[in-house]
Amino acid sequence: MKILKKHFTPALVLSAWVLLFSCKADKLALTNPNNLSPETFFKSAAQVQSAVDAVYGSLQTTGMYNRGIWYGNDNMSHENTCNSQQEADKRQWLNFTQDATHSLTEAYWNSCFRGVTKANFVINNAKLINDIPEVFLSQAMKDKYIGEAKFLRALYYFYLVDKFGDVPLYLGVDPAENFGLPRTPKAQVWAQIEADCIDATTKCLAKADEVPGRATKGSAWALLGKARLYQQNYAGALEAFKNITGYNLEPVYFNNFMEETENGPESLFEVQFSKAAGYSDAWNSDRTDQGVNEATFRAQEYSCLGWFNVFVSEDLWNEFETAAVNGVKTDPRRGYCVYQTGDKYDNNTLTMTIDPVTVAATATTPADFYVRRGWKKYQNYYKAAAESDNESGINMKVIRYADVLLMMAESEAKRPGGSLATAIGYMNQVRNRADVLMPLYGSAAMNAIYPVGTLADFMLALEHERKVELCGEQIRFSDLVRWDRLNTFLTSAKLLNSLPKADKAALVFSYPKNMLYPIPQKEIDVNPKIEQADQNPGY
Amino acid sequence: MKKLLRVFLLLFFFVAGTAGAYAQRTVTGTVVDKDQLPVIGANVVVKGTTIGAITDGLGKYAIVVTSTGNTLVVSFIGYAPQEISIGTNSVINVVLQSESTALDEVVVVGYGTQKRTTVTGAISSVTSDKITALPSAGLDQALQGRAAGVTVINNGAPGFESTIRVRGISTVNDANPLFVVDGVVTTSISNISPSDIESIQVLKDASTAAIYGSLGSNGVIMVTTKKGKAGAVVVNLDSYYGVQYSDARYNVMNSAQYKEYATSGAFTTPAVYTDPQYASRLTGAETNWQDKIYQKGPMQNYDLSVSGGNEFATFRLSAGYLNQRGIVIKTGLERYNFRVNSDFKKGRLKIGENLSLSYSAQDPLADNGGRSLLEHAIKAAPYLPVYNASNPGGFQGPTSSVDGQDAENPVRIMELNNLQLNTQNILGNLYGEVELLKGLKFKSNLGLQDQRTISNQLFPSYNDDNLGGNTHRQTFANIFKNRATYTAFLFTNNFTYDLTLAEKHNIELLALTEYSSVHSTVMNTNSRNNLSNDVNELSNTNPSMSSGTVYYYRVSYLGRLNYNYDGKYLFSASIRKDASSRFGPNKRWGTFPSVSLGWNIAKEAFLSDVQGISNLKLRASWGKAGNDKISDYAYSASYTSNMNYDFGNALVVGTTAAGRPNPDLKWEEMTMTNVGLDLGLFKSKFTLSAEYYINESNDLLMQVPLPLSTGDWNGTIPQNSGSMETKGFEFQLGYNDFEGDFQWSASLNLGTFKNKVKSLGGASYISGYSFEGEDLNRCQVGQPAFYFYGWQFDGIFQSDADAAAYMGGTEKALNSATAGDFRIKDTNGDGKITPADRTNIGNPFPKMTLGLDLNASYKGFDLNLFISGVYGNKIYNTNLFDLLSMDRLFNADVRVLDRWTPTNPSNTIPRAGLVASNAQASSRFVEDGAYTKLKNITLGYTLHKNLLKNKFTKLRIYVSAQNMICITKYSGLDPEVGRYLASGTTLGQIGSPQTTGQNYANGIDVGNYPIPKSVIGGLQITF
Repeated sequence: MKILKKHFTPALVLSAWVLLFSCKADKLALTNPNNLSPETFFKSAAQVQSAVDAVYGSLQTTGMYNRGIWYGNDNMSHENTCNSQQEADKRQWLNFTQDATHSLTEAYWNSCFRGVTKANFVINNAKLINDIPEVFLSQAMKDKYIGEAKFLRALYYFYLVDKFGDVPLYLGVDPAENFGLPRTPKAQVWAQIEADCIDATTKCLAKADEVPGRATKGSAWALLGKARLYQQNYAGALEAFKNITGYNLEPVYFNNFMEETENGPESLFEVQFSKAAGYSDAWNSDRTDQGVNEATFRAQEYSCLGWFNVFVSEDLWNEFETAAVNGVKTDPRRGYCVYQTGDKYDNNTLTMTIDPVTVAATATTPADFYVRRGWKKYQNYYKAAAESDNESGINMKVIRYADVLLMMAESEAKRPGGSLATAIGYMNQVRNRADVLMPLYGSAAMNAIYPVGTLADFMLALEHERKVELCGEQIRFSDLVRWDRLNTFLTSAKLLNSLPKADKAALVFSYPKNMLYPIPQKEIDVNPKIEQADQNPGY
Repeated sequence: MKKLLRVFLLLFFFVAGTAGAYAQRTVTGTVVDKDQLPVIGANVVVKGTTIGAITDGLGKYAIVVTSTGNTLVVSFIGYAPQEISIGTNSVINVVLQSESTALDEVVVVGYGTQKRTTVTGAISSVTSDKITALPSAGLDQALQGRAAGVTVINNGAPGFESTIRVRGISTVNDANPLFVVDGVVTTSISNISPSDIESIQVLKDASTAAIYGSLGSNGVIMVTTKKGKAGAVVVNLDSYYGVQYSDARYNVMNSAQYKEYATSGAFTTPAVYTDPQYASRLTGAETNWQDKIYQKGPMQNYDLSVSGGNEFATFRLSAGYLNQRGIVIKTGLERYNFRVNSDFKKGRLKIGENLSLSYSAQDPLADNGGRSLLEHAIKAAPYLPVYNASNPGGFQGPTSSVDGQDAENPVRIMELNNLQLNTQNILGNLYGEVELLKGLKFKSNLGLQDQRTISNQLFPSYNDDNLGGNTHRQTFANIFKNRATYTAFLFTNNFTYDLTLAEKHNIELLALTEYSSVHSTVMNTNSRNNLSNDVNELSNTNPSMSSGTVYYYRVSYLGRLNYNYDGKYLFSASIRKDASSRFGPNKRWGTFPSVSLGWNIAKEAFLSDVQGISNLKLRASWGKAGNDKISDYAYSASYTSNMNYDFGNALVVGTTAAGRPNPDLKWEEMTMTNVGLDLGLFKSKFTLSAEYYINESNDLLMQVPLPLSTGDWNGTIPQNSGSMETKGFEFQLGYNDFEGDFQWSASLNLGTFKNKVKSLGGASYISGYSFEGEDLNRCQVGQPAFYFYGWQFDGIFQSDADAAAYMGGTEKALNSATAGDFRIKDTNGDGKITPADRTNIGNPFPKMTLGLDLNASYKGFDLNLFISGVYGNKIYNTNLFDLLSMDRLFNADVRVLDRWTPTNPSNTIPRAGLVASNAQASSRFVEDGAYTKLKNITLGYTLHKNLLKNKFTKLRIYVSAQNMICITKYSGLDPEVGRYLASGTTLGQIGSPQTTGQNYANGIDVGNYPIPKSVIGGLQITF
């Protein structure tokens, strides 16, 4: 007992000391339990496919096909006119007042580069992918996944070079890329686009063998042709387009814009949307593609019975041929693209009413009155009384066969030794669609309004044809830029006199400044390799 | 015989009595405090003798005195000693007055307590009477204006936490101070009932905060809860009932004014004004939408406590109930609090525990479409009614194609949807202390926090558009069920050794280890119901779900030496080593030293003759504290699978690299330097504390932005880069007059802050809060952190020629400026208007904060006035954008009717219509945020024991009014603008480090919940 008492205090001190230093530090090394780790990835077919699917996702941000890309193109080309409820950032595109801080421009830029980075993630892990045993993933499938990533990388760079000119070219192999690259001359970017497309044509599957919606050999050839056409390599473009086989025009023009007929025979590549797949994060993803955003706001934003932020411009409406103009018939495509008061909708059960607009005179603008027409293309009104839930599941076309035919026509006409007659033939295929059947170019009726005897005349006819066939499909603005016709169009009396008076006063297009988007200010501020002096001229 | 006996006895008593008068007799009495509560253990001594007694558990004493000329001296720590001449009294009751500025005050410091006189660091103490002086739901709010250098900004609706900053802001990261409740680190103090608080100490400098090493760099708020006292059982009931309201409104147009504006030609005239079929739409209602979203909110609070004990055990039990309805419709908070604190002594062993349980049910503020409720209320068309019984859901909204605008019905957002946020929090600790040898103690403390948050949200289907346009509608019920849990253990073991050598050398040693683990989980789920609004449960209709788990561990060692020579020369030094799981293996450990010195000049012989000076002390401290508040796992690479696409109408899950890891991440360090002076004059009637500090943070943990073109998944890379400096003064002045019937006291605290970003590690800036597509603020080298960034405006162009000629036509070229547009200031003086002319247009953080507390009492009456203010800060008022930008047709401020037109040359309100620069981030929307508020005025009356026939010890009734007077130039509803908080549809990880975004949101008024005025009456009973 005494001994215990004697040693009690030292024993207590000792045990306390042990307690004091019993804390272990080995718990400090952690791995993230929420995410996959690099050590275990690219080991299965499902993982490879998942990495490829992520690359597609960047097409669905609000910077891209969920919202920004169609507002930007359709407003700048004045295929749209804006209603008063149109928000400022989109209206700036209409008036050409957007600057380098324009957030949707930034989202577009960033979305594309995020797509590139995700593509690089697949392409630069080719070795790991190819190391997967053949029994789990065949070489053909390995190739086609890498092929898809290459096509998508080319597509994202196409979006970038088309709108910004020179852009930094990231391929994900040089560590210096981590903190930013300078603007690469666009010729080099185009060369990379072509190289990726060519690689994709050999690696991707044919459309018949592929899951609908995935990039195919046809997608890659079409993008290659388009890229060459944009560089005015007409012979090369034609050569590429001629590799496209197995595609046809839809017998019904409107099949291209309905949910039930998606990925049809005319489709070379389209952005997939599906309300059934979910869209809970659609508003939150302006560039990151995080979450589920498998539907677009297009239908609700453009809808003449819904938000009605934009309507079909008078200029576009007037572009469609009528019997009075060509002496034969009114273009059926007008009825497929545009709603006006009196049109039937919801499976022809309801009749459309769209109010005209009155604007009182002010000190600076006179009184104004104009008739509005709504978009029908990409709307759900063909089958529904209303655009439901704000989002739409209709896929957005990127390249379809009618576009290819018209690009072939242009390439043939402009290539050294090209034949105008052959070119007109391609163009007439589009007019000769089963349910369009418009009088053909070269006929007497058409020669009276769109003669095609000279290359110059032919190009005006082609411009007309592309404008009506591809309206509202984010193509005309790029066409006008690459033809250098934008300034002519936006300053033409024909356009200006068709605009609401306030819009005419507000339009401040500046040539050549507005041919390109500004490099986002944030890129200039953060990227040490891009200075203010590198900004596109005028911004 | 009987007679004889009587005489004998009489004689005996006479003799005895006279013997007593001239020899020994016993004096008895009770010692109580000013609240008539017994003072236990007080010393009662006959002056100049060794005769003494100690009061018992009822405050009673008995003492033998020998002379009527004797004087009794009654003293107890924390009270002013009293001398009473005995005379012939045999019963002497004493009321001790507390010595509020007593130098013997004991303050709670990190891992221990210290006498105020020997403190060498910067500590602000807030006592319980200040904390409960004005009714506030949470402890965070109670701290506002109470301590120099501590800024508390209310963040709105009941249940949302305030922003607390100690000495401004010194990091771009999570700048929240560390909260330590009874020795346990916790995530929040807003769920603690203010009436349970004994004291709050704010540790502000290196010598005090560096004790918490890794966590101390933002300052430490140490909360000590009330414990029982030995003696009689005391029951205390505190209750109040009142009402909160706000009468602040923006002056928006009525229907007639709105019509004038909408049809003026500035916008496309809405069809509702031109098409006769809609004529009746314009005459149905005249709605003041702001009035529809605000209400009078009743609030009531009850706190009951029972405490007591004996010399071996003490206890305190308390329960509280708070019900506070908000001033925005349907918002509110209901909270239940329970607490049990007890202490036990057995021989050399002390054991104790603190355990609290709180449960709160919050009806949160909601918003929609990224716009605040107030923004909708400002913009909504005044001719639309709130309700329309024939619409699904029962509310009326606009039809954008007819009304030409699309502001949502704000009443529907609050009334139709059902949002509930429930939080349950257990916080407790168990400790044991044993005295091993004299002065050598070992203490072990085991702490636990367990918080569970449950969010249930139902958004029923509705259609506000009665014209079939579906402008605002939802065709399904949307149901969210979210859960978050947070479990933290803290295990602290330490030795302390107190030693006095040669009666003058006082030494205290501390050796400590601490281990902390945190496990936090979150689960967010959502589904729809296309059939019914009545089933608020999940189903397989459009389900979506996600979950996350985070682990976080920390191991720490601390050594500390406190030394003083005779209480005159003070020295303290500590060193702490921490390892955090947030860093990679090579950078895990951080070392945080501190040293401090103090000199009690008043104790020097040369001052002992100076009568007036009761205290004079100089202090200086230097040290380092750390910060590891960056996201977990940032140092390791990982892949994310949250990118999706669809093929064949089915979702496919995409995977890609989740940003770029930085294996070299390490501790952010803050070097803190503080010098201070304490002065007490005239027996500490007058007191002053002054501090000057410099906090310099280095190796700031930042998410450094990457160029957008790198396409990085995070857009940033975590790095230690940059440094920041904050400097400032703090003053605490007090005056106390505790003599006589009329007693009064005043205390003033004042803190200044000057902050500058010194480096961002190469990044030119980091940008922050985004509004209408623009970033409103940024951090940039050479500027204060998180300053507002935009154009500086300078009047309005009165003619197109002016606009075209200005600055060589550069403004016109940049944004097509014409007559009626703002003139942008050439801030860099290069003769051109370029994007580089965007500049610092204001600092959201105050340069100075102030609190003034005045107390007076006369007999039973007491009066309290509390004034608080902030100075030198700016507010970015985005409501002005909604009220005055005129970029689209919405309802707006009536002043838009007086906008610029060629015939009305305004120089403040530009032309209407979508004009780029007029709506861009600019000085136009920035206002002076300084204010002086009468936070509280309370008048109370206390009835004492004798008036209450001994049924109660004390009964006090009071009436109180809050926020009645506010002096400010700010044009918004309330200048107290913290960050905007509204309910989201997902929960975040509890306790995870807050990102820079939270700092950026400060000082931006996007329709923040205004601080209500309130009037309450209360009753306090003690028996």
